[in-house]
Amino acid sequence: MSSIVELQGVSKTFYRGKESVPVLENLSLEVPEGAYEAFMGPSGSGKSTLLNLIAGLDKPTSGSAKVAGSELSQMSDGQLARFRSQKIGFVFQSYNLLPVLTALENVELPLLLTSLSGSDRKKRSQTALRIVGLEERMDHYPRQLSGGQEQRVAIARAIVNDPTILVCDEPTGDLDRKAADEILALLEKLNKEFKKTILMVTHDPAAAERAGIIRKLNKGQLQ
Amino acid sequence: MTLLEVAAKNALRNKFRTTMTILGGAVAVLAFVLIRTIIVAWNKGVDYAAKDRLATRDKVSMVISLPKHYIDDVRTKIPGVKAASYLSWAGAKWPKDPNVFFANMAADENVFDLYPEMEISPDAIERWHHDKQGAIVGAALAHKLGWKVGDKVVLAGSIYPGDWQYTIDGIYGAPPQTALDQSSFFFHWSYLNDGVKAGMKDKIGWIVTRVDDPSKSAAVTAAIDKLFDDQDTQTTTMSEHAMNQGFLGGASAILAALGIVSIIIMVIMMLILGNTIAMAVRERTSEYGVLRALGFQPGHVRLFVIGEALTVSLLAGLVGLGLSYPFIEFGMGRWLEENMGNFFPAVHVSPVTAATAFAATLVLGGLASLLPAIQAGRLQVTDALRRIA
Repeated sequence: MSSIVELQGVSKTFYRGKESVPVLENLSLEVPEGAYEAFMGPSGSGKSTLLNLIAGLDKPTSGSAKVAGSELSQMSDGQLARFRSQKIGFVFQSYNLLPVLTALENVELPLLLTSLSGSDRKKRSQTALRIVGLEERMDHYPRQLSGGQEQRVAIARAIVNDPTILVCDEPTGDLDRKAADEILALLEKLNKEFKKTILMVTHDPAAAERAGIIRKLNKGQLQ
Repeated sequence: MTLLEVAAKNALRNKFRTTMTILGGAVAVLAFVLIRTIIVAWNKGVDYAAKDRLATRDKVSMVISLPKHYIDDVRTKIPGVKAASYLSWAGAKWPKDPNVFFANMAADENVFDLYPEMEISPDAIERWHHDKQGAIVGAALAHKLGWKVGDKVVLAGSIYPGDWQYTIDGIYGAPPQTALDQSSFFFHWSYLNDGVKAGMKDKIGWIVTRVDDPSKSAAVTAAIDKLFDDQDTQTTTMSEHAMNQGFLGGASAILAALGIVSIIIMVIMMLILGNTIAMAVRERTSEYGVLRALGFQPGHVRLFVIGEALTVSLLAGLVGLGLSYPFIEFGMGRWLEENMGNFFPAVHVSPVTAATAFAATLVLGGLASLLPAIQAGRLQVTDALRRIA
């Protein structure tokens, strides 16, 4: 199976004034297409930074980051934004839905960047909500939904563009066990049935065990 | 759903704050429209002065009367004169409320021919012609003092002492686009002349002349003054425009100051709106981070911020104009016309004033959001996402 993520000698250093803070050092990683991988490690180990680099939210200080066929280290901010809108779906710990929009409108949001007509955008958003089992709640506002339902809306928003990779940063961090299990089951379904590559950062061992591969980071190095 | 619709929904998110900002902006628009309307009304007397009307008064001072026979000379000896009439300032007061100020003028029989813009029925003029103690009054004055046609009224003379009794024969109006004072009181000069002491008889205040051809006003003006050059009482003749300008010119500094105040008010509104938008941007930093993560460009984020500001500005402008119209058209404007009709003959919100206020609100709203929008567009995605609670 071909690799959808290929990192070669990637380093990332942040700067606090004149002080440099290396977070990732000479890291290499290959993720095959269709994989479901979990990244674990203590706080400050570089998990989120690694996820940000793979998702095109940030660029490496040095090294090569090839994701879904694109070399991200050479891209401008505008190109990275287009890359994210086409190839990446994001699931955040605290859902990050816009409170003034209904579930359907929240899901439709990424499609505003496409050339789809209004009716096509609506159909695709409805389909995404159907996949996550929330088509009955499409006119509800986030405040009218439970945490688990909000996260499912966020997942629908992440898949509505039919991205290649789903990037999940602590997707069950704010949920109780039952809701977390439902979300993890949904992610498994997206991986198995819809062949989405899923990369998940988590502190929850139970969540990590649902992934096919668990990778551990410590001090910016994969172990 | 469009990006601007999302921005508009965001703008209404914090309902209390947005409502207060909209109301603040609306009050600023109201103040702006009120001040501009007052300036326009003040200038109206000059701007809308008839091009074909001249006024002749004593060369030394307006308070010095002219001999009555001057009117005959103007009518018969000056070529290019279409019609001429005369008036005298009587200065009488309404005894029930001496503080009510209105122009109380004794006029020649044909005075209304000189003011074709005056809206008055032929029947009323006919009644007046046959009633020596008759009076024609402006609609604003009649409304203010509760007068109607047929009422008997008594005014207390000041320049010409005594009680002066009148019957209201007619009420005149004027279209909004004219500058005609609708709080004047006209009565027969002959009634005044018959009632004054011998030494005050056969005097008139000033002469009003209509010329055949407005382009020849200068020649007629010169001819009238030349005619009386050798007389004991010399005259100065000027266009109605010049006379009004001279009368109102002293207030130009006040008008300029008012104009500046109206602009300052709008700038204050812009700063309030800018502060509100800056607060909203700070609160929504994480959401802008999410939008950027989803693939929205910095330009989209700027559009969101500017869209929010424009939504609030639009609503402030609409509410402000919605308040301005009834406040001025049914309240302040009518009060000014009734009580200060000589200075503010017609106080109406002009379409230009309304459009200027609305456009200024939108432009200033857009400007107010520029800095917050630029800052929001510069946010680094990862930094913005770190602020997620």
